[in-house]
Amino acid sequence: MTANQTPAARVESARARVRELMAHRESGVFLALVVFFVVMYTVSPIFRRPFNLTTILRQISVTSIVAMGQTLVIVSGAFDLSQGSIAGLAAMVTAKLWKNAGLDPPIAIIGGLGVGVLCGFLNGVLAARFRLHPIVMTLATGAVFLGVNFYITRGESIIGLPDGLTWLGRGLIGPVPALIVLMFVVAFLMHILLTRTLFGLRVRMIGGNLKASQDVGMNVERIRVGIFTLSGFLSALGGIVLLGRVGNALPQIGQGLLFPVVTAAIVGGTLLTGGVGSMAGTLIGAAIMGIARNSLVVLQLNIYLQDIVQGMLVVVALLIDQFRRGELNWRIILGRDR
Amino acid sequence: MSLEHAVEMRGISKRFGNVQALNGVDLELRRGELLGLVGDNAAGKSTLMKTLYGSVIPDAGEIFVEGQKAALRNPRDAQALGLAMIYQDLAVFNNLDVAANVFTGREYTRRVLGITFLDKKRMYNESEALLSRLRINISSPKLLVERMSGGQRQMVAVARAIGFDATILIMDEPTAALGVKEANTLLDLMAELRDQGISIILITHRITDVLSIGDRVMVLKGGERQGILNVEDSTLEDVEYLIVRGRSDGSG
Ligand SMILES: Nc1ncnc2c1ncn2[C@@H]1O[C@H](COP(=O)(O)OP(=O)(O)OP(=O)(O)O)[C@@H](O)[C@H]1O
Ligand SMILES: [Mg+2]
Repeated sequence: MTANQTPAARVESARARVRELMAHRESGVFLALVVFFVVMYTVSPIFRRPFNLTTILRQISVTSIVAMGQTLVIVSGAFDLSQGSIAGLAAMVTAKLWKNAGLDPPIAIIGGLGVGVLCGFLNGVLAARFRLHPIVMTLATGAVFLGVNFYITRGESIIGLPDGLTWLGRGLIGPVPALIVLMFVVAFLMHILLTRTLFGLRVRMIGGNLKASQDVGMNVERIRVGIFTLSGFLSALGGIVLLGRVGNALPQIGQGLLFPVVTAAIVGGTLLTGGVGSMAGTLIGAAIMGIARNSLVVLQLNIYLQDIVQGMLVVVALLIDQFRRGELNWRIILGRDR
Repeated sequence: MSLEHAVEMRGISKRFGNVQALNGVDLELRRGELLGLVGDNAAGKSTLMKTLYGSVIPDAGEIFVEGQKAALRNPRDAQALGLAMIYQDLAVFNNLDVAANVFTGREYTRRVLGITFLDKKRMYNESEALLSRLRINISSPKLLVERMSGGQRQMVAVARAIGFDATILIMDEPTAALGVKEANTLLDLMAELRDQGISIILITHRITDVLSIGDRVMVLKGGERQGILNVEDSTLEDVEYLIVRGRSDGSG
């Protein structure tokens, strides 16, 4: 930008920059988030309390961490519906390693994460080598992981966990809750992975044009296995954080995690057809849902509206997506497209 | 194997179900020549070039590259031998930017702590230089291919193939989606590359293009070679006759 530009040229270059910004897929959702936040901040004194704001961040942390893995999977053109079950299994294995095997909490946590990696690896091999359709396949492996969880725990909870196991979910780093720090760290690392590394580029390639990826001769199998393994790892991490948030090890931990996770990714602009999506978008998606849920509480509306709002958000996100891809327009909706 | 040939294909046959796409086809590409490959739809042009590029495995036949017998199991093998191909059904990544498309499969990277990072800056700089060297009308290598015209996408594919520093270039109907001006730019570019010593095979339905910039033209019909003509002593009618009628006798 030089000083001797005419006003008209300056307006034009400012416009160009706005256009460039809006071209980013995240811009729309980010704007929605800001508007939503500002409205709530203005109308509700309870909402703007610092404690309430950190509560929102704590509430979206587990969803976000797991959703980062889901985003990676969806960008690659697949789905991982076993995430909730992996989270539960990893959490329970962690608790059992401490309680029954007498391991130190950090070692038990590593064991739990290992279980997540193993589950994810299994998903990856089934998807890549055996070419099973990821949706049905992960639905099935999810059932298996859940079954294993209830089999080894006999459906019984482990009450009273040591600080070492709950720290991730309840501890503080300075004044900041550890799980909020963890969420941002995971988001940052996953963002770097997806946008700056060769692996991330490969993920976007196989999600964008599988045939061309094979034509180039890249190792699609290995990339797929890597993607699902990472998704398993992040699911386990989410499950272990949840363990700390709940304070007790309940076998049903992780159930109900999948829907908000997928919602965060979709609201955040991840294309269901693969190839396009971002960690920033997913974080924003999770934040929108977190604020939506919190609004119901602070405005003293019925909390059961939550499911309705969440479901509607997904439908709206899908509609926006269809419009953006040009699959949908007003002519089609009005039935004039014959 | 004669060393004047960059590529020699001998008796290539390929069957898809009950379609005999290629039937004992021979092809010789001289070093530094621009060979046109013409024929009607379904004549087998694309299939023949895919066998040369390793993306279709022939049922029978041998391929020699620079005098050496080549075992081509996938495009990587072909690339390693200095071949590059632009597919007819452009294998571009619409969800990625121009630079990522230009550098597909040979990205510049840097390893830090065992992780392979992309050297994006270098890829942007080099693709920008490549675009301007090829006089391709794309304003920035950061543009998403999704938002481009068919012609611009075609040029991205061209840039990718040429950027590979290939010595043998295969182009399957590269001008099909282009306007007159863009097509001429690309044809000039091909002639220029040929003059730099690159051997080129150009599949096209625009026979006049081959006659204006090509050295020889080979005609396929029904999966069989009908003949190779020298451009200098052939007319449009000669080529068209071969395409439509085929060789009338056993000569070829
Ligand atoms: N993968 C495939 N599976 C089945 N049949 C195929 C396949 N590829 C090509 N064919 C058939 O082989 C024949 C030759 O096809 P090819 O694409 O080589 O023709 P072409 O000369 O390139 O035609 P065009 O000018 O239309 O591009 C056609 O009959 C086609 O239907
Ligand atoms: Mg063809």
